[in-house]
Amino acid sequence: MTRLICPFCGPRHLREFEFHKTVAAEGGSAFARVYERVDSAELSIEHWQHVGGCRGWLLVRRNPSTGAVTDCQLVGGGEPA
Amino acid sequence: MSAPTRRGSRVREETVRFTFDGREYLGQRGDTAASALLAAGVRRFGRSVKYRRLRGVLTASAEEPNALLTVGRTPAVIPNVVAPQLEIVEGLELRSQNRWPSLDLDVASLLQAGGGFFGAGFYYKTFIWPSWRTYESMIRSLAGLGEAPRASELGEVAVEHLHCDVLVAGAGPAGLAAARAAARAGARVVLCERDPACGGELEFETGRIDGREARDWVGSVLAELKSLGVRVLTGTTLVAASGGEMIAHAEPGGLPGRNTMHKIVPRTLVVAMGAVERPIAFTANDLPGVMLLGAAERYLACYGARAAASAVIFANHDRAYPAALRLADGGIRIAALVDTRAEPEIGVPAARDALRLAGVRCLAAHAVLAAHGGRQVSGATIAPLADPARPMTIACDAILVSGGWSPALHAGVQEGGQREFDPLAGGFVARAQPEWRFVAGAANGALELGAVLVDAHAAGERAARRAGASGSAGRAPAGEGDAAPGWRPFWRSPAPRADEKRQFIDWQNDVTVADIRQSLAEGFRDIEHLKRYTALGFGGDQGRLGGLLGAAVLAELRGEPLAEVGTSRLRPPFHPVTMRSLAGLRAGAALRPARCTPLHAWHESHGAVLESMGLWMRPRYYRANGVDSFAAGIAEARRVRESGGIADGSTLGKIEVAGPEAAAFLDAMYLTRASTIKPGRAKYMVNLREDGLVLDDGLVLRVADDRFIATTSSGHGLHMLSHFEHYRDAEWGGRGVTLTDVTEAWAAIVVAGPRSRDALGAVLGAPWQVPLAALRHMDFARGSYAGHDLTVLRASFSGELAFELHCRPAIALALWEALIAAGLPPYGLEALDILRVEKGYLTTAEINGQTTPYDLGMESLVKLGNPCVGRELLGREAFHEPSRPRLVGLRAADGRGRFLAGAQLVVPDAPSRPLGHVTSTVYSPALGEWIGLALVARSHAADGTPLLARDPVRDGDVTVRVVPTVHFDPSAERMKA
Amino acid sequence: MSIATPRYSAWSLLRARFAGDGYWRPLWTGRRLQSSYDVVVVGAGGHGLATAYHLARDHGLRVAVLEKRLVGYGNVGRNTTIVRSNYLLPENHYFYEDSLRRWETLSRDLNYNVMYSPRGVVDLALSDDDLAGMARRGNAMRLAGIDCELLDLGALERFCPELEPRRERRFPIVGALVQRRGGTVRHDAVAWGYARAASALGVDIIEDCEVTGVHSTGSVATGVETSRGRVRAERILFATAGHTGLIGRMLGVPLPVETHLLQAMVSEPIKPFLHTVVVYVFPGHGETYICQSDRGGLVMGGHLDGFPSYTREGRWDRLEEVVEGAVELFPSVGGVRILRQWAGTNDMTMDGSPIIDRLRYDNVYVNAGWCYGGFKAIPASGAACATLVATGTAPDLIRGFRLSRFATGHLLDERGGGPFPVRL
Repeated sequence: MTRLICPFCGPRHLREFEFHKTVAAEGGSAFARVYERVDSAELSIEHWQHVGGCRGWLLVRRNPSTGAVTDCQLVGGGEPA
Repeated sequence: MSAPTRRGSRVREETVRFTFDGREYLGQRGDTAASALLAAGVRRFGRSVKYRRLRGVLTASAEEPNALLTVGRTPAVIPNVVAPQLEIVEGLELRSQNRWPSLDLDVASLLQAGGGFFGAGFYYKTFIWPSWRTYESMIRSLAGLGEAPRASELGEVAVEHLHCDVLVAGAGPAGLAAARAAARAGARVVLCERDPACGGELEFETGRIDGREARDWVGSVLAELKSLGVRVLTGTTLVAASGGEMIAHAEPGGLPGRNTMHKIVPRTLVVAMGAVERPIAFTANDLPGVMLLGAAERYLACYGARAAASAVIFANHDRAYPAALRLADGGIRIAALVDTRAEPEIGVPAARDALRLAGVRCLAAHAVLAAHGGRQVSGATIAPLADPARPMTIACDAILVSGGWSPALHAGVQEGGQREFDPLAGGFVARAQPEWRFVAGAANGALELGAVLVDAHAAGERAARRAGASGSAGRAPAGEGDAAPGWRPFWRSPAPRADEKRQFIDWQNDVTVADIRQSLAEGFRDIEHLKRYTALGFGGDQGRLGGLLGAAVLAELRGEPLAEVGTSRLRPPFHPVTMRSLAGLRAGAALRPARCTPLHAWHESHGAVLESMGLWMRPRYYRANGVDSFAAGIAEARRVRESGGIADGSTLGKIEVAGPEAAAFLDAMYLTRASTIKPGRAKYMVNLREDGLVLDDGLVLRVADDRFIATTSSGHGLHMLSHFEHYRDAEWGGRGVTLTDVTEAWAAIVVAGPRSRDALGAVLGAPWQVPLAALRHMDFARGSYAGHDLTVLRASFSGELAFELHCRPAIALALWEALIAAGLPPYGLEALDILRVEKGYLTTAEINGQTTPYDLGMESLVKLGNPCVGRELLGREAFHEPSRPRLVGLRAADGRGRFLAGAQLVVPDAPSRPLGHVTSTVYSPALGEWIGLALVARSHAADGTPLLARDPVRDGDVTVRVVPTVHFDPSAERMKA
Repeated sequence: MSIATPRYSAWSLLRARFAGDGYWRPLWTGRRLQSSYDVVVVGAGGHGLATAYHLARDHGLRVAVLEKRLVGYGNVGRNTTIVRSNYLLPENHYFYEDSLRRWETLSRDLNYNVMYSPRGVVDLALSDDDLAGMARRGNAMRLAGIDCELLDLGALERFCPELEPRRERRFPIVGALVQRRGGTVRHDAVAWGYARAASALGVDIIEDCEVTGVHSTGSVATGVETSRGRVRAERILFATAGHTGLIGRMLGVPLPVETHLLQAMVSEPIKPFLHTVVVYVFPGHGETYICQSDRGGLVMGGHLDGFPSYTREGRWDRLEEVVEGAVELFPSVGGVRILRQWAGTNDMTMDGSPIIDRLRYDNVYVNAGWCYGGFKAIPASGAACATLVATGTAPDLIRGFRLSRFATGHLLDERGGGPFPVRL
């Protein structure tokens, strides 16, 4: 997989980031949010944290079959200050 | 024994002494073990692992499958060192491998003389009765290559991080041209080369580039690269690519010792790693004396070492002719040049004529059928391909073979990228690549020097452009070297079926044509299956030598085109990497740097026995207080209850939660409300994981309306911070709360015991008398000590009157020493644990990720609470069944027995059905007996229930009874004092 | 009709030397895909093949195994070959113990040497808390009649002197939990042995045949759509570890599964010196398990790569972390070289335990969620899963592995990590 581009810190090596979970579609029950994961070979939507950098929480879209990152932004859609 | 000094591009005159199998040899500075031994006439370097066949050196490269040596003396040996890479130094001790008692006389080779019997699949079909275990140790005694080192004297490994525009891998003609083009265009370039010298095949190939000798051109390019600021890393192999980072490994001299791991982040990569010459399968093609043609050339040109006195050359391309001329020029008699191609396919008539003039027999449409000789080559059996039944034998002491070249694409195509079989090049070459990677030269299918240079120059320029450079790369170098090979497929010589078991494909794993035939017969048609069934390509070269040959033989036997059969997928690393290099900086104490509290030095110098708690180092007990942890822990705990003591609590996690929404945010993070805490008060709080199980507990201090300090268990601080941050950003909307880890901003000293308030008052002095006296349980006061911030919180984890001092690290030591001077001695984790179990307080033994708040007796907290993380899933039915555990206290039924954490709890009439387990136990000095906490099924959690604590892995069984969790001072009189 | 392979023995090897071509037969035969079966098993990995073998042997059913790529190309041939039953929770330890007992006789049952090597599995304890946790687990096993011992330093030194347990280390070793019957099994041989045995019982093993959908009438599945056309089936089992989430999507059932990468690596062969399996978990995200194969290579693994992936390309920094632990344990092998790294895709469930249950249709089953522990489960999983598929009722051994446990809270969370496969 390629590097992640943190909205605050720019392109950084993967080792600076920690993956947390894949995220399901909006809504759904508490059970679904905790337990049901969207496991797709083409598009994985995930929460990561830049623990070795700004500690920002990131919403990452990746292709888990190629490792290509298609999008990386702050969760909640905020802009870097 | 003084041989004339050899001349070669890599050797100097200086003599170097070394030993091989106990015998002393002389080499020259710059020699490899292979070149020096070859020059000394040594042909036999070791034995193969499976059939124990004698083996010589096959290559002059890192792919060498045979000549692997053990360096040094037992126990600190280094096994499997690649002889063609190992630079000899004075006094080096080398040993051959896989032989006992000696290389020429090996007992196991007699046992395995039944060749073929041990073919593919042998082990799966036998040793079934009575069991594999019966035979395993005998089989293991024959396994492995070199001796296992049982000591090590390796030094530190350097790790270097580099950033550049263009990384060029390989410094043969392609790499040099690409690096120069990129550097001229203005890119910052790093060039890495596996060999200790640059030039690749130009080290021996005769050619002219831009009007000068190719070898001079190499020198001039290197000088230009230097002037352009290019970093040239020789002896450095690109081994892997991962996460946009290229990993290059340097092992100077070919021996672990002064290694460096380079981690290079380039914008673009040029793969110019050339191609690996491969052998042809013929009978006994593994006899010492069979060598790759290019290797013989390299030994001659670089080291002045003659691999043979008289050689037969066996090839299927035009390159063999100029090579034969050069070898003859260097003093090797060429007994014959055997070309599998028919006369009209030979594209170098001039070279051929020159050879003939020199008296060399040039045989077209012929093949070497077999190597002759007992312990090493003494001749070659040669026959016309049209009539293999009429062979002739030509005497020689070496067969120099060249079956074409397999592009070295490995590391370059690990991530993405495609390859395709190129029938002209006779190998798989690169096709569509990711936009940041450029493949140049042989790996790109360029076949002769002129084409290689043009291709690589263009690749270097494109790579520089892509990396953002805009200068001119100038004109591509014009070169002319050996002709295009005119390669024609020829993979193995005709042989009777019985001889196929001596047609070797993979030397290191003793895989032969017979093995491929057999595995195909057993249904392993796919190349990946073949690899797994025969171990083809499992060696140090990963099949770069024989992989394509194996695939071609499989294709032949399947009757299908090679392109369809393909080759097995190669795995990182490109070349084996020393484990110590991989560990890099993280070894010994630096494996994980210890986290130390501001009082660490004091603990160390005052007899503390320190223990790792996660990455933290904490005092377990102080030696002065007892002979071991048990005795000292009891003494320290007793003293706290009798008078008082202090403990270092700095490892406690602390998160500052601030902002207008801080209170509401914490309400959502914890089972109970933070918003009801008054400033200056603290509260015991519990939080849940998203799935409803208890995550952690701690005290939350409200510093101001909009500011809190949330404490966490030791070692949980960072995790809890992430948990908070995730909730804030993903669910909370990210606003109105700032979260800061202040764990290390505050040292913490616990002051506990009946004398704690008085002693603390004496230490803190006048300004603190009034606030100290006013503190109720869970109150805190803020002020200063010695000019630095200090918070005094009245809270207890021991059941005693107790305070937590949160102070700036700068004053921690002064405060600690003042408290000692005031008569409060230190206590460690052992005592801390005794005190907390006596009081029924929880740690990670109970909050273990498997318990709900109900299990831990927190119903009242659940009831009080507010909507919070994890609450919604608390209603699940299983969490309310009678089999769910319940936190209880335990004592031995007879008041004397010892029972330990980890014992399983049962009732006597069902002694094999656990109802729960003991989570924590201590010997309580206050009560004079063993006490514990346990999680036991609600059905059996009533006070007084008799249970059996079963501990078959340690003490055996003890009868216990359920008691309340608070063993000592249940009305908490002491804490409220 | 199947073409039987000769019965394997030293005698057969001897005969083969004189019998010439044609003596050895394909281990399994790629018969033609029929239009209808009692059971279609999707996936020719360890679990699919073992289940097919038991369906044919124990229940007399006509079975096809449909495989997208090759027999044994997935995790059964990519793991670190460790087998053990040293689990804490009864649902797990009884199940894995059943498996371990089957491993003990599997070579004879299949007439194929899978090289079960009971060399012991050692979990190292680095603190008293570790020891207490291991005692809890060990006691639970012993009460269930499963072998295991808690070793102090002296006993550990006798059991595994090469570990030098008293050596000064960043995290000193204080003891260990050992299961002597645990050990290793030659992984590829398991796939091949089951495939051969199943084929001999008439099971059709069809490679290069991808299942793309399920046909149904109401709540009953009628067959599968494949890259080679439609196949009718009375019952369907998906045993596609590493691609379970995708099967869930195909059936429209969201599953508590994420697909993660786990890598393994092997050193060049050296003379065997390490004769057991050592598991070393240390603070700061350290984990290395290591054993030495019968070829002499040090085989190692550690944590998941840490994010969903189907690439089978392990990240390099994880390889470094695993090797760090190995060098810390055995500094003397620092000069030995790593040859190869590879990776497998693991279907990680939200409590770390497997799912064997009916899914979506009355007659569709899934055998999944093996996380990184599926290899050692194969024999027990095959037998129990066959019973489930053949009778429609889960045997007691796998009743705990039902899918509904996440909703009801009957979680099987061995390590207490919660619904996060990679949380540290």
